[in-house]
Amino acid sequence: MALLEVRELSVTYRPRDGVPVRAVDRVSFDVAEGEFVGLLGESGCGKSTLGNAVLRLLDKPAAITGGTVVFDGTDITTAREETLRSMRWARISTVFQSSMNSLNPVITVGAQFEDTFQAHGIDPGHRAAELLAMVSLDPVVLRRFPHELSGGMKQRVALALALALSPRFVLLDEPTTGLDVVVQRSILDRLRELQVELGFAVLFISHDLGTVMEMADRVMVMYAGEIVEDQPARAMTAAQLHPYSRGLLGSYADPRAAQISVTYVPGRPPDLSREQRGCRFAARCPMVVDACLSEHPELLPAGQGLARCLMVDSPAIPGGFAVPGRARVDTAEGPPVLAVRDVVKDYRGGTRAVDKVSFDLHSGRVTALVGQSGSGKTTLAKLVTGIERPTEGSVRFGATDVGALRGRKLRAYRRHVQLVFQDPFAALNPTSTVAYALSRPLRNHLGLSAAEAGERAADLLEVVGLAPAAQYLDKLPHQLSGGQRQRVVIARALAPEPAILVADEPISMLDVSIRAEILELLDRLARDRGIAMLYITHDLLSARMLADEVLVLSEGRVVEGGPTLRVIRHAEHAYTKLLLDALPKPV
Amino acid sequence: MTEAAQVAAGRPARLPGWFVILWRNRKCRIGLVMLLVFVALAVLAPWITPYGPREDDYPPSIGPVAEHWLGTTARGEDVLSQLIHGARTSLLVGLAAGVLSTVIALAVGLTAGYLRGLVDEVLSFFTNVALVVPVLPLMVTLAAYAPVKGLWLIIFVISVTGWAYGARIKRSQIITLRTRDYITAAKFAGDSTARIIVREIMPNMTSLIVVGFMGACLGAIGGEAGLAFLGLGDPQTTSWGTMLNQANNGGAMLTGQWAWLVAPGLAFAALMTALTLINFGVDALSNPHLRED
Repeated sequence: MALLEVRELSVTYRPRDGVPVRAVDRVSFDVAEGEFVGLLGESGCGKSTLGNAVLRLLDKPAAITGGTVVFDGTDITTAREETLRSMRWARISTVFQSSMNSLNPVITVGAQFEDTFQAHGIDPGHRAAELLAMVSLDPVVLRRFPHELSGGMKQRVALALALALSPRFVLLDEPTTGLDVVVQRSILDRLRELQVELGFAVLFISHDLGTVMEMADRVMVMYAGEIVEDQPARAMTAAQLHPYSRGLLGSYADPRAAQISVTYVPGRPPDLSREQRGCRFAARCPMVVDACLSEHPELLPAGQGLARCLMVDSPAIPGGFAVPGRARVDTAEGPPVLAVRDVVKDYRGGTRAVDKVSFDLHSGRVTALVGQSGSGKTTLAKLVTGIERPTEGSVRFGATDVGALRGRKLRAYRRHVQLVFQDPFAALNPTSTVAYALSRPLRNHLGLSAAEAGERAADLLEVVGLAPAAQYLDKLPHQLSGGQRQRVVIARALAPEPAILVADEPISMLDVSIRAEILELLDRLARDRGIAMLYITHDLLSARMLADEVLVLSEGRVVEGGPTLRVIRHAEHAYTKLLLDALPKPV
Repeated sequence: MTEAAQVAAGRPARLPGWFVILWRNRKCRIGLVMLLVFVALAVLAPWITPYGPREDDYPPSIGPVAEHWLGTTARGEDVLSQLIHGARTSLLVGLAAGVLSTVIALAVGLTAGYLRGLVDEVLSFFTNVALVVPVLPLMVTLAAYAPVKGLWLIIFVISVTGWAYGARIKRSQIITLRTRDYITAAKFAGDSTARIIVREIMPNMTSLIVVGFMGACLGAIGGEAGLAFLGLGDPQTTSWGTMLNQANNGGAMLTGQWAWLVAPGLAFAALMTALTLINFGVDALSNPHLRED
């Protein structure tokens, strides 16, 4: 008998003012003692709901509507709250993405450990310090308050707390998402070592494919509330059984490879509030046949695991949706559009965010700024866009000194420099329609009339691939998906016909399956429209795909720079190598 | 299309959307119905009251009888008629002073929060001063020594003494909103500061403004009652506060006229309860977690 047995589990959301949505649909799987299982899928596929259901942590309007979850002989779906309370944490524990924010801000870390031990009637002794040592933290941390720790440290504390009572099963729901790449790497490495050492079982939920493939023994892929593939990680890396897994894995590549080709999965997941006939992936599948539309495939043995696909035995059709790594021009011609020279930026309190950085932006070329958080990437973006002024050095746009602009002149300069934001959910005003958001730059910068702006807004939506435009103009942001929002944000940035586009981590908040699509769009816009792009990222793969030139930033300094291929394939500086090492390596 | 589906569909049904959420909250529903009753009473007062509020041709100081459900005053006026007319005063003061102090709070709070720097320092200084000044004595002094008398003086006094708390809250809200990405985006789109505040920021703090307005109404209604009870109200208007004042002076307790004393007090309590209950619903509007599913 496996440690965790999930059978035919269904979870339904029944909002009062909406149609019921079956987010998890008859899911069955086992997790064996000491096994590390990965659960992969794009946002909205039901993976977090499944995780919460396994712990019975669902809140209204979600509820388990069928099936059983048996943990170590106890049926969690029907157990009494008291039974659950003694089980949770002692035998099943969890770390969420937001776990670091679940630390009580008014008591010290040590007191939180004591609380945990006391609640389960265990004598703490020196356990807390040992636990902290396990996650590579100094015992001094016990005397600290949560606000005195960095995000990475807090997440380590959360992990140590989850392991405090030696649970046999730990649910990890995106435990390192949102943390810095290098920090992520060190936490995950430690986690894997601990898991081997202590032998607890893990269900690791993530959308980060490279990490899941590298960490897990076995990987389950979820799509539209169902498990579509379940295979040992090694087997899945070698050969994916389901076209969706193939699409997901296709969106990952090693940036150091000589040739890179990255795919994406076009389209969006189906609307689960409607009755689903046939295969749920059919609308996005490159190998769809007539039977897929009428016959719902079962999860059947295939390869070394299970797959839910009628065409599982047919040879894979590779893509039809590939984004090839384009050949780059290494040398720029003509005068630069923007010249940054020996720029220094000091903040109050004496911190130097940017230290003597110089680079040029050329029209039709993409320059990538790569570095971990705190390296000064975003400060440079602010200097280029005129939000901040340099302490020393100059930022010149043609004959204009950007650092000296104020008021009306600054506003005029912004016609030429536009921003694409990281978080498409924060970059659009939730109370304004798409048409309004697009009309503002058109009316202000280009002086168009309301009617002209309306027409131009529609054109812009078509340019960024939102067609037919009429369908999107009257939408509010919350009615769009993340990818669609980011396209609207890009359309707005294009509206005043800028010479420079600053894209600050434009794909890091998006699903893996659509990242390549947005990169392709940015790439096409920069080349076709002759826009000089400053692409800010921590992700070397996207830099490799999009940029002509890469600058690696560390502590405000450019430590290495040059043509993309040379910097990434033949990295010289130790810091560049550190960033490259932080990339997940699927086994 | 069902009502529920319309909410999900968004824009064309946005107006009913907020109302559906308010109405669905049970507390808020009770509050809305209560408020509606008060508004109806106030609007229809001249037609539904049995007598004029100032007619004093009835036997003075009698208890509840069939002709006078709540008895009469020491001067021989009908208490029930006064009570119904008094709703007009309370609602008018609540609405007018509520709007006025909300407008002052918005202007001060938004300017300080958005511009920051020296402007913020100066405006915050005045806000803090206004917060610590004891409001009731100030209102009493202003009302007692003002050269003009009347209801609008009361409204003015309540507004200028009651805006500070709202300004403080709105300032802190705008400070968190002004650094959002979409505000930066609006700047890059070339929008002016005024437009950014009105078109980008204000719609995102609607529920906060409404809650502030409700709070200001409550304060204003209470303030008017307090001033009137102390005899500083406008003697020409009939309000629940002046009724209490007259009941006190007319020796309602001595003559055993409990209805004269209790009725205006209960009316106050009911109106304030109604507004507070509505506030629960407005909270649910701004915070989906508070919605009753």
